Amino acid sequence: MFAYIVRRLLYAIPILIGVNLLTFTLFFVVNSPDDMAVSQLGEKYVTPEAIEAWKRKNGYDKPLFVNAEAQGVGAFTDTIFFTKSLKLFAFDFGRSESGRDITTDVSTRMWPSLAVALPSFVIGIWVNICVALMVVMFRATALDRWAVFVFVALMSISYLFYIIGGQYLVAKSWMLVPISGYDPEFQPWKFLILPVLVSVIAGIGSGARWYRTLFLEEAGQDYVRTARAKGASEISILFKHILPNALIPILTGVVVLIPTLFMGSLLIESFFGIPGLGSYMLDAIRSQDFAIVRTMVFIGSILYIIGLILTDISYTWADPRVRLS
Amino acid sequence: MSGDIRLRVKDLRVKLPETGEEILKGVSLELRAGQIFALVGESGSGKSVTSLAVMRLLPEALAITGGAVQVGEQDLFDLSESSMQNVRGRRVAMIFQNAMTALNPVQSVGQQVAETLRLHTRLRGDALRQRVVQLFAEVGIPDPEGRFSFFPHQMSGGQQQRVMIAMALACEPDILIADEPTTALDVTIQKQVLGLVRDLTVSRQLAVLLITHDMGVVRHTADEVAVMYRGEIIERAPVDDFFHSPQQAYSKRLIDALPDLSHFQSMATETPLLQLEDVKVYFPIRKGVLQRVVDYTRAVNGVSLSIGRGETYALVGESGSGKSTLGRAILNLEPLSGGRIRFQGEDIGGLARRQMLPYRKRIQVIFQNPYSSMNPRLSVGEIIAEGMVSLGLGLSLEERNERIGQLLDRVQLRREYGSRYPHEFSGGQLQRVAIARALAVDPELIICDEPTSALDVSIRAEVLDLLQELQREFGVSYLFITHDLSIVPSLAHHVGVMQAGVLVEQGSAEQILTAPTHPYTQALLASVPRVDG
Amino acid sequence: MLALDFKPVLLWSDALVFLLVIALTLFFYRLREDPQTRERWGRVFSSRLGMVTFTVIMVYVVIALLDSLHFRKALPTPEGVVTNEIFYDNKVTSVLDVLLDGMGERFERTYSAPFALKSFEKSNMKDEQGNMYRGYEDLKHAGQHLSDPQAKWANVLELSLRALAWGLLAAALVVGLQWYLLRGSVHPWYASWAVQAVVICLFFWLVYLSHYYHVLGTDQGGADVAYQSIKGVRTGVLLGTLSTLVMLPIAVSLGVMAGYFKGWVDDVVQYLYTTLSSIPGILLIAASVLLFQVYIDLNPDFFAIGMEKADARFIALCFILGLTSWSSLCRLIRAETLKISQLGYVQAAHAFGVSHARILGRHILPNVVHIILITFVLDFSSLVLAEAVLSYIGVGIDPSMGSWGNMINGARSELSREPAVWWTLSGAFFFMFVLVLAANLFSDLVRDAFDPRSAMGRSGT
Repeated sequence: MFAYIVRRLLYAIPILIGVNLLTFTLFFVVNSPDDMAVSQLGEKYVTPEAIEAWKRKNGYDKPLFVNAEAQGVGAFTDTIFFTKSLKLFAFDFGRSESGRDITTDVSTRMWPSLAVALPSFVIGIWVNICVALMVVMFRATALDRWAVFVFVALMSISYLFYIIGGQYLVAKSWMLVPISGYDPEFQPWKFLILPVLVSVIAGIGSGARWYRTLFLEEAGQDYVRTARAKGASEISILFKHILPNALIPILTGVVVLIPTLFMGSLLIESFFGIPGLGSYMLDAIRSQDFAIVRTMVFIGSILYIIGLILTDISYTWADPRVRLS
Repeated sequence: MSGDIRLRVKDLRVKLPETGEEILKGVSLELRAGQIFALVGESGSGKSVTSLAVMRLLPEALAITGGAVQVGEQDLFDLSESSMQNVRGRRVAMIFQNAMTALNPVQSVGQQVAETLRLHTRLRGDALRQRVVQLFAEVGIPDPEGRFSFFPHQMSGGQQQRVMIAMALACEPDILIADEPTTALDVTIQKQVLGLVRDLTVSRQLAVLLITHDMGVVRHTADEVAVMYRGEIIERAPVDDFFHSPQQAYSKRLIDALPDLSHFQSMATETPLLQLEDVKVYFPIRKGVLQRVVDYTRAVNGVSLSIGRGETYALVGESGSGKSTLGRAILNLEPLSGGRIRFQGEDIGGLARRQMLPYRKRIQVIFQNPYSSMNPRLSVGEIIAEGMVSLGLGLSLEERNERIGQLLDRVQLRREYGSRYPHEFSGGQLQRVAIARALAVDPELIICDEPTSALDVSIRAEVLDLLQELQREFGVSYLFITHDLSIVPSLAHHVGVMQAGVLVEQGSAEQILTAPTHPYTQALLASVPRVDG
Repeated sequence: MLALDFKPVLLWSDALVFLLVIALTLFFYRLREDPQTRERWGRVFSSRLGMVTFTVIMVYVVIALLDSLHFRKALPTPEGVVTNEIFYDNKVTSVLDVLLDGMGERFERTYSAPFALKSFEKSNMKDEQGNMYRGYEDLKHAGQHLSDPQAKWANVLELSLRALAWGLLAAALVVGLQWYLLRGSVHPWYASWAVQAVVICLFFWLVYLSHYYHVLGTDQGGADVAYQSIKGVRTGVLLGTLSTLVMLPIAVSLGVMAGYFKGWVDDVVQYLYTTLSSIPGILLIAASVLLFQVYIDLNPDFFAIGMEKADARFIALCFILGLTSWSSLCRLIRAETLKISQLGYVQAAHAFGVSHARILGRHILPNVVHIILITFVLDFSSLVLAEAVLSYIGVGIDPSMGSWGNMINGARSELSREPAVWWTLSGAFFFMFVLVLAANLFSDLVRDAFDPRSAMGRSGT
């Protein structure tokens, strides 16, 4: 087990380097710092001097990979690749193009993101499993067929409509909770109800449909027939035999997402005005702040890799057949 | 027949509503206390459907359309589903074919047996645990206390089946339905499990319905036998009468599939075609952070044998003994870890892809599963032509088509089948196509990897006959890999017995089958069913 | 000199679309030879649901194709100018625009509700005496023929009946022709005909009524919402298909090679897709689109007309979506190839010395086609939905190109007005929902028919 985790962590290094190289190529080779300066400054103010000044201010005035003018290790450290890309490995995210410290921003904005994403995630899974179990109990009846149709219909509605519709109905028409905003001091749960509700409902269609297929697949297995031959009732078969077995594929799909909950949700946060990492990313994209985008890509891929490792570990817990080596 | 009637099936009818096809056309039978009633038939005859219908466990696609199942005075078909749940496991219990999949993989075996007890008795806590341990001991599981918390995958196939039996017997039912309980097991284990069922039948006065396709099993275990064919019982008799004077031609055919140990193949020529010298195939086991190779799985651990021209060499062994790996190594589909493979004196072990090509034409293969060995997207003609094309036999299109026609003729299929696709054929027909495919390139040696084990007994004999005819006609040699000693006498000149990667004994078929010296061969042989058992 | 009164315009995306249509036709034509595939498609189309959803998808595809035949109209020679040269309109029109009969050219000043006669917002107007006052302006293209505004709904009913009569006539012709051609077919064609009849009637009704009213109202810029929604069809359909098309060759070739050759090839492919999927997809897409946008902005002279610029961005978006989303299909195909490589027929092919290329082409590829097919249909709907999200984020389709995402993005704040402006959103929602629902239901049927696992699940319960 320990050897396995160590190996997985070692395997993460080339992946992170790959991510780093890819983003570096995208941001600095395809698009030169000059292009960035032009789009940041706005076309009116483009002069060679202004570009140089902008590059100097943001630290883009160095060569990409090798600095021929610098001494010793400086030849490699005093470059854009080192200062902008490799420093990410030391969790030194530097400053955004608008001059703010990214590390502080990330550590403060992480919590509101989590406050929305975690309850949405937990309640969402719970609701989906319950709905799917209910449908599976009535399998091969008209109710099951209609439920599947409803799931597909729910899946076919754009996420944006769930948000807009939720805001319109709950907050505007019925005036039950605030439309948007977030205040960590004053009754934060009030602001959280609507976004959590919307993301849970938006997830039911695809989630419950997926779990239903997993449950049905297990329901066709031989051991279910054995349990029936023992004289077990359908309900007890569902909870004692089908559910524990179906949990295994559910875990693979779900555990990998847990670390990425920190990243928040782009849409939910921006619509509901929650100052989390999701809206942070959206603002960065809209203002073309590549320093932030680069950092978030890096953080995102670290979280994803952690998710993969967690998935494997959760396997050993849910499935006695799996031993990691 | 002595013994009280415990269960009576009357005129049971089952239909497939979707197509209106009748699966069971009025099946009647009685199970008596202390006796085993064997229901025999080939796949699709409706024997398993009968057992599931008795338990009311049929898949939703099938419907019971008539008949009755009486336990005492009670007709099971009149019961509500919840009262039926009280019957299952308590009055009538069932064990299934493949214990590995029939047990819940994520629950400990002790818990699974305990569940039956919890459903039908008031036992709880320590008493419950004690009862399970007691049951484990009764069905012969070693260290019953310790095995309680084992998961199914940690046990061997035989032990899993014992757990199934313990589960079925937990609430002391009167009636036991066993659906092919030993099919997935190796012969030596098979014998032990059947012995256990036999003993329990007598000691507990069970009424047992034993479903099987294996006449050997019937001969050794059953008291009464019924032969099922296309949803009907066509013959029913006490076991001794049945084997000595079967009434139906179909029954005769089933009995004839049992081995006859009085006739053997005479020795063929002694010119060696293929010689193996100390062949080894190892698979590395990796461990640790750096995944270093710490040990090897010795799948084939030093095998030497020799196959003559026009001769059949039967390589016998149980699953996992390394016999199939050896076959694949000869075909150069598996890298050698040591030793030599000589084909007509030339070393062909570990040849590179290109150098191997001339030998590909001379060594061919037939696989076990006829369905997976045919590409579903190619027509039978294209499948047969593949070897001719890729090995460059230099035939024109017409010549090739003519040859495909001849080959289909030769394996007793119609010429026009060449344009059809694999899914239109039965398993036996597909195995004939596989033979034609191998023959297409005029090989000198064909490696037959369990070519008949996926086939029903009555078809098995036809395919084996065909293989022998072809041997006489073309002088081709066979390396015949099988777990089934019973087909060996009529087929093989030489026999080698393999266990755990090593050839423990080899010699002429007569010698091995009549006077085995190695204890493992003796054990294998003892578990082969015979008519005169 | 023969003067064409139009000049065909071939946008890059148009070319790709027609290439795609040809490729798909050939692909399905070849598949017909295989009886197993034919039987499976037969299963899809033997259900009424399959017929209905397929017809709905085809309607969208036909609209998209009609909207991909672009041309520039010739301008009438200005009076008093004598020249042989023909000047073409800078605006690119499509065949669909012609069929819609000027629906897109009837602009108002700003919002108006469906079937409204007056503008939604007050504006400064002059009465007959020339005094300024604030009031609701009459619409330029709605209800001009009415003498009495009270008679509006009676008039709508009358016009509707007249349009429906024409629609039914046309539907009868279309359906009658098919009925004659498909007499012997066992499939439930009537389900398809019902959909066709409804669509034809709706089309006639919409085109006819929009001469007199704005059926779905107008948006902030005064454009007809019904027209906008229909124009969104091409964007949605093309994005869904082209992106998948870009992704397929990468995913299939890498997946098949990793699963077949194993060893270091497998390691490299696994490394590639793990790396790619570890990057948050939306960020990668957003960053790539932004970078491409910078490129367009810095090289404005590459594109002759505005539409070409929008088209370039659209194609770039398709490529970016395709290049960033191949990892999941690649993983599936790798797993399936690993499984197939162990099967008897591949082993037998090895024993016959069949070359790697031939084994890949004859034995492996044809047997993973069902996965490709299922993914193609399944991804289609998720891409259509993704387009809206990307537009909201600001990295979607160029605003000058009609798309549902842009409509929703523009309409986001409208619901909070008093009274709410609900029609723009509803228009986009309706057209998008119908397409995605049809595609999802159809993909379910395709999967049931083609995925051996789900077929087993059905008979095994």
